[in-house]
Parts: sequence; C-alpha cells; structure tokens
Amino acid sequence: MVSPVLLVAVPLGLAFSVPLVGLASKRGAAFVPVVACLFNLIVSIRLLPRVLDEPIVTSIGGFTPPFCINLFAGPVGVLLSTLIALTGFAVSLYALAYIKSGPTVRYHTIYLILLVGATGVVLTGDVFNLFVFFEILCISSYALVAYFGDRAGLESAVKYLVQGSLGSALLLIGIGLLYGVFGSLNMADIAAKMGSVDRMSVFVPMALIIGGLGVEAAIFPLNAWLPDAHSSAPSSISAILSGIAIEVGLYAVVRMVFTVFGASSMLLFLVFLGLLTLLVGEMCAFAQTNIKRMLAYSSIGQIGLIVFALAMATSGSVSGGLFQLVSHTLSKALLFLAAGYMIYRSGSTEISSLEGMGKRMPMTSLAFTVGAFSLVGLPPFAGFPSKFLIVRAALSEGETLLTVLIGLVLLATVIEGAYFFRVVQAIYFKKGGEDTTRREAPAVALVSMFVFVVLILVIGTYPELVTGALSSGASELLGRANYIGSVLG
Amino acid sequence: MSFLRDYAYYIGAFGLVALGLFTVMVKHNLIKLIIGLSILDTGVNLFLISVGYISKGTAPIFSRPGLEPANMVDPVPQALVLTAIVIGVAVLALALSLAIRLHKRFGVLDLRKIREQRW
Repeated sequence: MVSPVLLVAVPLGLAFSVPLVGLASKRGAAFVPVVACLFNLIVSIRLLPRVLDEPIVTSIGGFTPPFCINLFAGPVGVLLSTLIALTGFAVSLYALAYIKSGPTVRYHTIYLILLVGATGVVLTGDVFNLFVFFEILCISSYALVAYFGDRAGLESAVKYLVQGSLGSALLLIGIGLLYGVFGSLNMADIAAKMGSVDRMSVFVPMALIIGGLGVEAAIFPLNAWLPDAHSSAPSSISAILSGIAIEVGLYAVVRMVFTVFGASSMLLFLVFLGLLTLLVGEMCAFAQTNIKRMLAYSSIGQIGLIVFALAMATSGSVSGGLFQLVSHTLSKALLFLAAGYMIYRSGSTEISSLEGMGKRMPMTSLAFTVGAFSLVGLPPFAGFPSKFLIVRAALSEGETLLTVLIGLVLLATVIEGAYFFRVVQAIYFKKGGEDTTRREAPAVALVSMFVFVVLILVIGTYPELVTGALSSGASELLGRANYIGSVLG
Repeated sequence: MSFLRDYAYYIGAFGLVALGLFTVMVKHNLIKLIIGLSILDTGVNLFLISVGYISKGTAPIFSRPGLEPANMVDPVPQALVLTAIVIGVAVLALALSLAIRLHKRFGVLDLRKIREQRW
C-alpha cells in the first residue's frame, strides 16, 4: 500500500542527500532529482486510479483530522502531483546537460526542495501547512532565479523576494485571523464552520489570503515580478517556474475560494480578474522582442485564462480550466526548454537572433514549434481540446455576459497566435547569419523535450485519456460537502 | 482605557506591520528594505501570538496542580510562530546574501540604480 506521505517525505530526504552524494561525485548529484521525480511519478500514477474512486485522507501523528495535520489526496491533488513529478523528471533530465557551471550541487538540492514544496501544497489539507509548503516553494525559487549571479538575475531575485515576502506576510495575517475566528486550521473543519459565522467577519481574512496567494499565482495586478524572474532565471528553472510554481499558487487560490470559503459571490470578480490578466499578459507579450520575456508574459496570459475558466464554476468549465492548466504546463515547459538551447546557441535572447534556427537546430526548432502551436490551441496538440472545452462550457451557459467575455478570450488567443507565429516564422522562413552548421542540443536535453512533445501529441489526439480524471477533479473542487465529509468522516 | 488594555497587543502588532510596509514601500536602500521586511515579519508574529494569548495566562501543562483551563494560553499560535520565525530567518538570510552579492559584484545597494528591466 502506497501512502501519499511518501510523495513529500522521500523527495525531501533525497534533497538533503544531494550534498552528500555531491561530496563523492558532482556528476552523481545531478541524478538524484531524476530518481526522486521518477519515484514520485510512479507513486502518483499508482495512486491515481484509487483516488478517482475515493480520496485518501492521511492523518499525521495519529490524531483524527480536525486535531492533526492531514494530507488530502483527491483527484486534483494527485493529478497535480503527477504533473509536477512528470515535469520535474523531464526538466531534471534537461538539467543534466544544461547546468554545467556554478554551484551545481546546490542547484540540484534546491531544485528538489522546490518540487517538494509544490507537491506539499497540492496535497495538504491544513491551512498553515499550506503556508509552510508554499514558503518552501517560494524561498527555493527566489534562490534559483539568482543562480547565474548576473545583474539581471540578482535584480529580479531581489524584486521577487520582496514582493513574495509581502505576499507571504499578508497570507500569514489572513491565516491568523482565520484561526481567531474559527479556532481551527484544518481546511475541512473551517469549511464546515463557515456557515455559522457572519460573512463579513471572514471577508478580511479571505481578501488577505487570496491577495497573498495571488502574488505567487501572478494574478493581475500582483504579477510585476513575474516577467523579470522568469526571464532572468536559467531556462530549466524558467520552465519549472512557469510550468509549476504559478500553477501551484493558482491551485492554492482556487482551493481557498472553492473549498475553504465557498465564496460564490467572489466568482464573478475572479472571472473579470482572469480576463484582465489574460488580456494584459497577451498584449504585453505581443510587444516583446526578448524571447524569454515573451514567454513569461504569455504565462501571465495563460494563468488569466485558467482563472477565467475555473471561476465560471460549472463542472464543464472547471474541467476545461484544469485541462488548460495541464496543457499549459506541458507546452510552456517545452517552450522554455527549447528556447534555452536556442539562446545558448545564438548567444542572444532577442527574437531576431533566432532567424534561421530551423536549419541550425532542426529538432529543437520542431520542439519549440510544437509547444507554440499547442499553446495557441491548434489541433492536434493538447492546447486545442482544453481551449475548446472552455469555450464550449462558456457558451453552453447561454448568458449574454459570458458570450461577450468568451469573445474577448478568443481575441486574446488571436493575439497569442500572432506573436507565436512571428517567432515560428523567424525560425523557419528567415535567412539567418553565415553560420548554418547543424549542431543540435545535447541528447539528454532532446530526450526531455521529446517527452513533452509526445505527451502534447498524445493528449491532443486522445483527450479522453485525461478528461475522466479532470472531470472528477472538477467535481472534487465544486463538491464542498463531499470534501468536508471525507475528511471529518 | 479598557480598550487600550484589551487591544494593546493588536495595536502594537498592526503598528509594526504598518511600519514594516511603509519601510518596504518608501526606502530605496536594499538593506533598509530588508530591515522593513524583518519588522513586518515581527509584527505578524506578534499578531499571531496575541490571537491565542490570555492576560496572565500560562503554558497549558496539565500535570501542574492548580491550573485552571481558563488560565491557559492557546499553544497552537505559539507553534505557528515558531515555524514562522524559522521561515522569516530563511528569507532574511537569503535576502541579505543577495544584497551582499549585489554589492560585491556591482557596488550598488540602491534599488533605483539597479533597475534595468521594465515592463
């Protein structure tokens, strides 16, 4: 019998064994994250069919749930932990070749701790425990953004750290107020008692908690740190930050809004906030000439789309939003990984320096193109069914407001298409400089990109593979009473 | 005066939070900004402690004779604060090491001078 505790405990133990392995062999240290992620992947996939029937509630310390910290491994949690382990696995393969200079042993330690934090956030059932895992995630990402130690990296790490710590302080005040009102930190317990108190007395903690988590989730207007941090970090870390860190922040916001507060009056506000985030992100991305900044702004846009879909709160739109989250993680991680080696080869982050890459690095360019097409939402890539589900869910509501808003979403997708096609055009159809020798990214890096390409194609062609799990995830997020019942018994 | 007596801790805590927020927003020197973050953290910790505090209360040790439940403070916020202090120390250490690195490599601590990237 596998327990969800292993998903946190084993990688955490392995993370602190990295420096020891590094004493013996620096090369060996790089393989520890690969092993840890593979372990998590296997455990998560074995847990997945079980949690689709019934969520697993693990209490720690031998007490019953309201009095202990419990892990809640439901469909959403295990789906996200599978996604984290999968992305973490591919990116750690990529890092075998990509991270060569600097304090590499520390890189692999902190990288694994970051993944532990992310896994902990998606599995925990306790508000303060969520804060602790969230801080593990944030602090390790501050450190990794500054990995190269150059001016841009240090500057954006400082910015990220200051804004992130302000967010965490707000979150902690909110948790303190929540404890003052309910005398409990267990999510299910708070949710069960939510009906018995005045709505106004939980408004301030709710605003503080959502504001605090919103900084990490990069919801407009709290996302000033994101373009700097994601573009100055090493490409492998950008892939993890864009593919996992902000999604985990978003999960925390959604869990708070849907399950803990059950705040249906907040949802329309979040729909508008999501749309605003989407439009601002896509328009800023369109104006960029730096490829990594463009990808970072595009992440803001995608987060907006996911918030928009989740906040519509119908079972169709929530599963569409979760699908979009999965396809964004796969596509954006792939884009950053491919862009990493193209930048390495051309020596510049400008989009114009990518001209002629289609001849110089055909495989890497192909991977980039697959990621770009999937993000824009072309069939047969994973982005198509996810966007299709969101649009269908919004139109089937039959409300005029949502129909107008979905029109704006489609407009944002057109902008997204425009800037991605511009890059693809530069890669394939423009003449580059004299250097036309063909030299690919290293084999391990190509393998890690290949993992994402295959997944994007398979999910895009057979969306039924994931839609079952996604719709039970949606019913978990929307079914508040079931959540409370399965934890408190 | 009873208002002051009852809410002194909350006033102090949110005073510190406001002071910290003000420092973070107004100061341009990185070290002063980090001091502001630290004050903010202290305020939050004081707030958490005062959520569970009872005037003249003491630790809930049940084996001690003559201790009424009404005189026990809530131990949960204190456990939270212990964790929050550790997290605060980690953030502070990381922030200071970034500041040291910035100063060593580029000789600047003024945030206005290191701003290269814009929207």
